[in-house]
Amino acid sequence: MDARNFTFMFYGFLAAWLIVLVYVVSLARRGARLSKELEDVKHLVATTHKN
Amino acid sequence: MNLLTQAFAVARKDLAIELRTKESLNAAGSFAIVILLIFSFAFDSFADEMNEFGGGLLWLVFAFAGALVFNRGFARELPNECLDTLLASPLSAAALVLGKAFANFVTLLVVEFVSMLVFGIFYSVDWSSQAGGIALVFALTTWGVSILGAVFGALTVNLRLRELMLPVIIYPLMMPILIAAIELTDAVLQHHSVGSQIQWVRVLVASDIVFTALAWALADTILVT
Amino acid sequence: MREKLVIAFAVIGAILLAYNLYNIFLVLPDEVAQGYMYRIIYFHVPAAIVGMLGYFVAMTLSVLYLAGGDLRHDSLAASIVEVSVVFSLVNIVTGSIWARVQWGIWWTWDYRLTSALVCVLIFSGYLMLRRAIDEPTQRARLSAALTIFGCVDVVIVWKSIEWFRNNHPGPVLSIRTGGGKMDPAMEHTLLLNMLAILLVGVALVLVRSWQESTAREIDSLRRTAHV
Repeated sequence: MDARNFTFMFYGFLAAWLIVLVYVVSLARRGARLSKELEDVKHLVATTHKN
Repeated sequence: MNLLTQAFAVARKDLAIELRTKESLNAAGSFAIVILLIFSFAFDSFADEMNEFGGGLLWLVFAFAGALVFNRGFARELPNECLDTLLASPLSAAALVLGKAFANFVTLLVVEFVSMLVFGIFYSVDWSSQAGGIALVFALTTWGVSILGAVFGALTVNLRLRELMLPVIIYPLMMPILIAAIELTDAVLQHHSVGSQIQWVRVLVASDIVFTALAWALADTILVT
Repeated sequence: MREKLVIAFAVIGAILLAYNLYNIFLVLPDEVAQGYMYRIIYFHVPAAIVGMLGYFVAMTLSVLYLAGGDLRHDSLAASIVEVSVVFSLVNIVTGSIWARVQWGIWWTWDYRLTSALVCVLIFSGYLMLRRAIDEPTQRARLSAALTIFGCVDVVIVWKSIEWFRNNHPGPVLSIRTGGGKMDPAMEHTLLLNMLAILLVGVALVLVRSWQESTAREIDSLRRTAHV
């Protein structure tokens, strides 16, 4: 009973951390994509104004 | 013209259109009957077992049929810029939403009445023994879902994925109302009085009041020219 | 400045989390009836409370947007809803695993569980709605309306264990019961972990809202370049 209890508690903690980790990773990827897009658009605006 | 007069004018217009074209009635009514038919194949029609989950089946049917009705509610105003005209008129946004909700309410009640007859035939259910209680439950629940349908029909009317977004948004919001209705309908099917489940009636009344108040308050926000 | 804030919140939250984990696993004793498994409460309850708090704050910001028209309120509300949905999912999943041990079932249609799941569905619908609308003011307006309706269910989640008693345990925190339902040391650790999770949540919200303002900047730059 105790071993089973411990196993499930471990799964519970793992699930909690995993969900947050997946979200943090997706947030990081979205941030990187947005930074790149911002640089691209800034460059585009700069070249448009030059022309 | 006060709010209720304006709302009834809108409802009268919509119901007149509905009587003439019968588009929502036919679509929702046929859909409800087909689903009930499928349920009758899926579940054996022994009356005793039906008493335990008949309420759930019925309200599932009405929720799905309702989505068809709510979708049409504001969508029918899109051609010929009717919606813009309505919004530019002296009609208040709250009256427009309430009027649409009244029209949804009446249309859905008709669909529910026909479905109840069909359900009664398929599953040998006698509704007349608690006609008053059933009428109260159906009226309260149908108003609750109708007001939500009107508000979110207005909210999603201009979205490109309207037919998808409306059910996705509206079904979770309807949950308290549907759960209360299912519990009360099951109680009636099991020959208990509605009064024995008074807490669910309270849930229905409270939900109706809260959602109607929010709809009245937020109508101007949702419907903007 | 914003980066420094994010780092500060994240670091303090992490230190507090580490301290709490030490307490949870090495200091506090087992619960009498539940043994080792009860320790999941130190994440299950704080995640729920931080999530619900988030929804209420988002509703307040939505009302502020409707009153003032400042799109930054809307961006912040959207960020908070997204992070709150994540915490609500943590709450539901940890609760489900706990239920498997405690009640023998992964799920039951208890009023709190049902309304909590409905809450996640409503606010997931909010996030889907935002993706379906391109125009910023229309998106802000309609999202605000949905948040206000959604908070009706948050109230139901919060109050459900008082209004309906079913599988889910009743209130245990002193702030609701006046004391006596939970050991003071355990309650202290639970509240401390709530603070830790709140700090981590705030860091995530700051990052997300920075991304929202970047997206707005990209939009306005595109319009400048007529792209």
